[in-house]
Amino acid sequence: MSLDISATEYLSLVREGGLSVEEFVAKTLERIAKVEDRLHAFITIDSQKSAERARAIDKKIKAGERTGVLAGMPVSVKDNICSTGMRTTCASKMLEGFVPPYDATVVSRLKAEDAIILGKVNLDEFAMGSTTEFSCFGPSRNPWNTDYVPGGSSGGSGVSVSALECMASLGSDTGGSVRSPASFCSVVGLKPTYGLVSRYGLVSYSNSIEQVGPVARRVEDIALLMNVIAGHDPHDDTTAKRKPDDYVQDLDAGIKGKRIGLVKQMAGEGLEKEVSSATEAALARLQDLGAECVTVSLDAIEHSVAAYYTIASAEASSNLARYDNLRYGFDFGNEGYEFKAYVSKVRGNFGPEVTRRMLLGAFVLSAGYYGKYYLKAQQVRAMIKSQIDDAFKTVDLLVSPTMPILPYKIGEKIDDPLKLYLLDINTITANLAGIPAISVPFAISSAGLPIGMQLLANSFEEKALLQAAFSLQQSTRLPGVPI
Amino acid sequence: MMVDRKEIAHLGDLVKVDLKDPEKYIAQVEQILNYFEGLDKVDFKSEKTLRNEIQYDDLREDKYEKFSSDGRPLVDFLKKAQDNFVRAPKMI
Repeated sequence: MSLDISATEYLSLVREGGLSVEEFVAKTLERIAKVEDRLHAFITIDSQKSAERARAIDKKIKAGERTGVLAGMPVSVKDNICSTGMRTTCASKMLEGFVPPYDATVVSRLKAEDAIILGKVNLDEFAMGSTTEFSCFGPSRNPWNTDYVPGGSSGGSGVSVSALECMASLGSDTGGSVRSPASFCSVVGLKPTYGLVSRYGLVSYSNSIEQVGPVARRVEDIALLMNVIAGHDPHDDTTAKRKPDDYVQDLDAGIKGKRIGLVKQMAGEGLEKEVSSATEAALARLQDLGAECVTVSLDAIEHSVAAYYTIASAEASSNLARYDNLRYGFDFGNEGYEFKAYVSKVRGNFGPEVTRRMLLGAFVLSAGYYGKYYLKAQQVRAMIKSQIDDAFKTVDLLVSPTMPILPYKIGEKIDDPLKLYLLDINTITANLAGIPAISVPFAISSAGLPIGMQLLANSFEEKALLQAAFSLQQSTRLPGVPI
Repeated sequence: MMVDRKEIAHLGDLVKVDLKDPEKYIAQVEQILNYFEGLDKVDFKSEKTLRNEIQYDDLREDKYEKFSSDGRPLVDFLKKAQDNFVRAPKMI
């Protein structure tokens, strides 16, 4: 039995009794043991409990008892999503030793459907970064070439799914953190509409823009996970009360007759040559599949990076103010310290990117500068939303390459934060506007590095988005992961 | 926008972080803030910002619910708890 099997196929085999969950999970854990020292996707692996859960599910199936829709599905969870009894570190020294006393809603929903959480995966500290290099545990590595970054911040999610260390993963996407690793690791990653998926138990970084999103190898597996995690949560008042669609049903409806707009500002000068040719090929493909492709101009995007980082830094500096190492966190005695001196000393253990964003956030919110930066950023955000609303009056979907460039070498850009921020230009629009966006594997470059295409839809139009992503996937043949 | 050592130290104080190497943040914070200044040049047709107002008329009942995780009270999860208190450094 190959580990590279779609969740849909695996789950139906398991349900029919044709496949033992215990064997499959054991094989997956063997795979993790084999590749993990080269990839470093996981922060915590719970082999023993995973094996126990697998046995329990096999037993339930044999006894003819009711099982959940994800019965026996091995998944990983980004380590900024709380999980009872399993440490949640946010890849930060500040949360060393923290074991949450509750599950995030998305985690309890996975558990209720009998998914098996193998462990927690790596990220940039507190999800701030786009390469996974800012993890206090060290970077994850791209399974397509281990000298290269896997994208981020949900790098561990992208790597673990791509390298067959699990079947799917939950990440979080604040400015592209699910889509960037999906693109760089040749897997599928969805950032849902703001308010479709509960954030209860997701450690807050930038509340007004972030969402939990699934990563999987196939679009149908993303649809399956969305059917489980989407929907109103009484613990999160920003979740919408509307009933979510059935994303699996009619997934193969196709895109015939759909109007798809290439976003001019996401496909211009900054694109690397091979990304640009892949984008042209993707447009031709969408047309072959029956869509009508046009070009759409959203000129507010020119200011989106500045607006995004102003808002995200402001919210980060507010959210991270709560960490004082008094109730949980790394072991550091407070005897002999004065209160303020102690708090400042322990907070000196935040990593460089988190510290940088807190400093920026404090600056843009401070008296005299609020109107110049933060308020303007919010106005740009409103402008982007208004232009997106107008665009969706004439097109059904938008398209762009997910990342403007190919994956790059570990260490190559880490000392130039602004350069890294600018690479988020294609992904942050969906977060600022609150709309859903998905990255689908589309091509492999001449050097063997993945290129993903991004599709964007109007708010709560995930069903149409997944249908288009499925069409694109079904017409694309790509090689398997080389590791 | 010029950022100097004094400004970084002030920001460090605002976010309550003892900066081990304040020098390394000066150039980067200055470069990023200068980039943010592009926001000042935007020609806004409207001053509006996004608002999403929600009317709350079906608030849940204000009922006390005891928290427990696997039968353990929340206080059990605190790293420096003594009885029902957290041990903190002295305030003065």
